[in-house]
Amino acid sequence: MRFDRRGLLKTLTALPVIGGLLAILSPLLRYLKPNDGPYQLPLTDQDRPQGGAQVVGKTTSLQKPWDFFYFTYVQQYAQYDATGFKKANIAGVAVRLPKKVKFALPPELGGFVGYPGETDIVLFQRICPHLGCIFNFIPDWHEVTAGYGGYVPPDWERHSLMACPCHLSIYDPAFPDKPGNVISGPAPRGARYFRYEIRGEDIVVTGAEEGGIA
Amino acid sequence: MDAVLADLKEWLQDRKQHLDLFDETKTARLDNPLYTLGGLVWLSWMIVIVSGVILMLWYIPTTTGAYQSIMHITYDIPLGWLARGMHKYGADMLITCITLRIYRMYFAGEYKKPGELSWMILFASLVLGMISGITGYLLIWNQRAFWAAKTVLTVPTYYDEIPLVKNTGLGHAIAYIFLGGPAVAQAAITRFYAIHLGISVLLVILAEVFFYRTRRRRLNLSLFTVALVIVFMTWLSFDRLTEMGRWANPNRTPLPILSDWYFLALYQLVKYMPPLWAGIAPALLIGYGMAVPFLDRTKETRALERPFFFVVGLLALAYFIGFTVLIMLNIAVISRDPPVIFAVTVVVLTLAFIWEMAHRRRKRLAAQQAKPAPPGRPAPGAAPAG
Repeated sequence: MRFDRRGLLKTLTALPVIGGLLAILSPLLRYLKPNDGPYQLPLTDQDRPQGGAQVVGKTTSLQKPWDFFYFTYVQQYAQYDATGFKKANIAGVAVRLPKKVKFALPPELGGFVGYPGETDIVLFQRICPHLGCIFNFIPDWHEVTAGYGGYVPPDWERHSLMACPCHLSIYDPAFPDKPGNVISGPAPRGARYFRYEIRGEDIVVTGAEEGGIA
Repeated sequence: MDAVLADLKEWLQDRKQHLDLFDETKTARLDNPLYTLGGLVWLSWMIVIVSGVILMLWYIPTTTGAYQSIMHITYDIPLGWLARGMHKYGADMLITCITLRIYRMYFAGEYKKPGELSWMILFASLVLGMISGITGYLLIWNQRAFWAAKTVLTVPTYYDEIPLVKNTGLGHAIAYIFLGGPAVAQAAITRFYAIHLGISVLLVILAEVFFYRTRRRRLNLSLFTVALVIVFMTWLSFDRLTEMGRWANPNRTPLPILSDWYFLALYQLVKYMPPLWAGIAPALLIGYGMAVPFLDRTKETRALERPFFFVVGLLALAYFIGFTVLIMLNIAVISRDPPVIFAVTVVVLTLAFIWEMAHRRRKRLAAQQAKPAPPGRPAPGAAPAG
């Protein structure tokens, strides 16, 4: 490609034209994604689902180790249709572990931590951090080996596990320092957390880690 | 610069002259059933469009009404089963015919000059057909539909891991635009409905412009073939009532869960790969498909005369069938399979490359032997035949 005088002038004229087109088109894209201000399409600040504090269950239903229950944490979010705000359910599971664990602070979570201290009651979002299916709590690990792709856990992980029906990722709720970490399958990380407190007998969820499609 | 543009224009003009999308009149092999595929693509596409419009008369595109309305269409409304069956099986046939035609064009070397543009359009239509398929089967709002939509649109969120776009949130923006928010809900049905219809509407307009400008035939099949297809599909719709599945439940993913058949191989691949790669791999496959006419520069059309591309095609076919079988049997040992598959791929491609080199060398030697003595000193008598 030659860069003579004419080519240079053409390029210089094209730049503001392209810029102007982008300036006109960018707000038009808000028709598709109305929650953001003009010129900031990819930022999703307005799209954050909000939940607040909700009591999701009682510690009394988790008496023995490996007792668990499922719950849903309800969030509000702005859906792009005529009806406005919608509820999004985040499926969750609460488990009593045989011994206390501490949530580590992995840098990728941006300081989000499930529970501030040591605890033997852990909560996870059941939305698979891989591609968003709902994974199950499997009380007996043999079932993981039979139905979820033939994974055989090592000796120290032969207890209740969590496994996803879609792409067969397997999570260990009692993984040391990183509860819910992925131990097999294509998931790039462990299960997402809730931020929660235990007030008397109530388990109160105060927030949910972001990033998934509900 | 201008010269490049002029070349490109000439190239496009020339390929447009030889565009063979539906009628297959550019080949002289009309007695071969594989050369009815172009006509069958158009026929099944029209069946899908007509039955789709009929379905729209009763379909309710809401999370609460969709499943019920389709149940109603299938079981209560007179001939509703026929409209739904034709739509579903017509779509299956459309995808099947496009896929078979792609393999035919690949192995018969029909993507070579002047067929490049036909090949690229056909390949793009497979992609659009699959998008049409996935947006279409969400509309039923059953479990299969819900989880397919959710997993497929979680894939773009991983684009946010690519270094350059990391902090822009572009990947999430793509997912939100298609779903109409951070969850699969009402807005997703509305948008998928629009995309599902929109793809066919736009393509029909383009196809009609093509027919108008080139005076090509729409349906180059005998009346008997057309009747046979329609009778067969009617019988299929009657005999095999299209499945309903279970109502979508966002809080429970069934085990096992499968997608529609043409996504199964991709689905198995996603089990084996890190999710970012699962988003990039299909793009690479599409890119390879689109670029094949420009990668394979030989003039040979016979498969065995271009061994490397022949083996790549065979490998793609083997993986498509193999992965589909594996996922239907729900076999995937994620710690064991990927290295094996990777090793097999590398070995097979290397062997194919060696075969290609050996073949070229053999041909070169044969050509040298066939060549008469150096020019300037013409050999007396006839040149030896090669």
